Amino acid sequence: MESAAALAKELGRCNEVSDFYRRASELYRECGRSQPASDALAKGASALEEKAPEEAIKMYDEACSLLEEDGKEQMAFDLYRTAAALYVKLEKYSDAASFFLRLGTAADKCNAINSQCKAYLSAIIIYLYAHDFQQAQKCYNDCSEVQAFLNSDQNRCATKLLSAYEEGDAEEVKRIGQSSAFNHLDHVVIRLARKLPTGDLQAIKKDAAADDGEEALDDDDLT
Amino acid sequence: MSMIDVLTRVDAICNKYDKYDADKHRSDATAGDPFSRLYEAVDAEIDAALEKSERAAREKNRAAAVALNADVRRTKARLLHEAVKLQKIAAKKVKGLAPEEKALRSDLVAALPHRIEAIPDSGSGGAAEQNGGWNGGNARPGIKFDSSAETFDEGYYQTTEESEQFRREYEMRRIKQAGLDFISEGLDTLKNLAEDMNEELDRQVPLIDEIDSKVDKANSELRKTNVRLKQTVNQFRSTRNFTIDIILICVILGIAAYLYNILNQ
Repeated sequence: MESAAALAKELGRCNEVSDFYRRASELYRECGRSQPASDALAKGASALEEKAPEEAIKMYDEACSLLEEDGKEQMAFDLYRTAAALYVKLEKYSDAASFFLRLGTAADKCNAINSQCKAYLSAIIIYLYAHDFQQAQKCYNDCSEVQAFLNSDQNRCATKLLSAYEEGDAEEVKRIGQSSAFNHLDHVVIRLARKLPTGDLQAIKKDAAADDGEEALDDDDLT
Repeated sequence: MSMIDVLTRVDAICNKYDKYDADKHRSDATAGDPFSRLYEAVDAEIDAALEKSERAAREKNRAAAVALNADVRRTKARLLHEAVKLQKIAAKKVKGLAPEEKALRSDLVAALPHRIEAIPDSGSGGAAEQNGGWNGGNARPGIKFDSSAETFDEGYYQTTEESEQFRREYEMRRIKQAGLDFISEGLDTLKNLAEDMNEELDRQVPLIDEIDSKVDKANSELRKTNVRLKQTVNQFRSTRNFTIDIILICVILGIAAYLYNILNQ
């Protein structure tokens, strides 16, 4: 089945490629071998990355869920990362960030703390790159509840980054972006981090301040 | 006596004693005399300086007192210059001047520098009355200036040994800090590599367990097969079937050779 799919890819018939790979994966699943099943889907997805990225994303998703069901998330890390990179290429940043968060939960189950922290940091960076400071803040707050993340280097980096953003200090953000803590993340994320102070820091600062101001007004209204 | 009579008599008396009028003499005699003019000017300035210094001594405001004293000092310096000039002029011979006058002039000029120096300003703490005046005007006696002109001489700005040492130590620490930064970055990379390796190994542990079990199975199967093969081969070796097999093989080979010969002829 897989050989047929490879041939189809060489011939350039995209829908057949995906069909073949899916059939292969189903067959594997019937035999109860989930790992090869997800591998087949992953191969199909990488084959389709150029031509039909949406299809590829779907296949990655299926592959990841397969492994998750079977409790073999360890194998899924790479898939998550490739899927998120693809999302970033398509500039769908919130989807990419959500994939990173899924990676985080998978890593949590496997006790892979380093990967987990890296995944959370990557998600925060992606939100910041997408000018979504509120989301980044929320994400950071969620992640801080995870004990392992709280004690990690990545957490420190994230705090520094967010405080630099709050103060609207572009130089500080650039400096942190160049620091060595980001060098071991995914290269796609590293590229985003290097480009980081995107958008208007002042606007972010104003929004943050405006939010605080509104909250103060609310307090007054209640009393 | 009537008014007019009094006035006339006063006039007469004035005229009589006119020669004793120093001011008038001075103003008449010094009309065209450079020495006298200069002397008058210097005299007037000395008086003004004295007045200023007295005011400075009385002044409550420190800044104003300092300004006045500075002014007085400047005036003194200028007047000293003028006194020198006056001396020169006095030494010149002026026609129509009596020798007593000349002596008088030189005396006056000699006295001038003393008078000028005697004007109190708060620059030098020499004379006693100056100290009294200074203290009288001083509102805060406790404030002292540790550094005076002597401390700011050449030795003050020269690098002493200690300061050289400090500088060297600072340089060394800076270099060390740069080295430590480099080391810390390297350590960061190492740590990441180590952690990734850790996770990779963790991931591969169950895989290796699977491989282990599968290889065990394959191993046992192989052993089984080996034993059976051994049995089969042993079976062959022990019976007559083996010799019969050899004879039959020889016969077949002979027939094959015979056929080959016939075909090739």
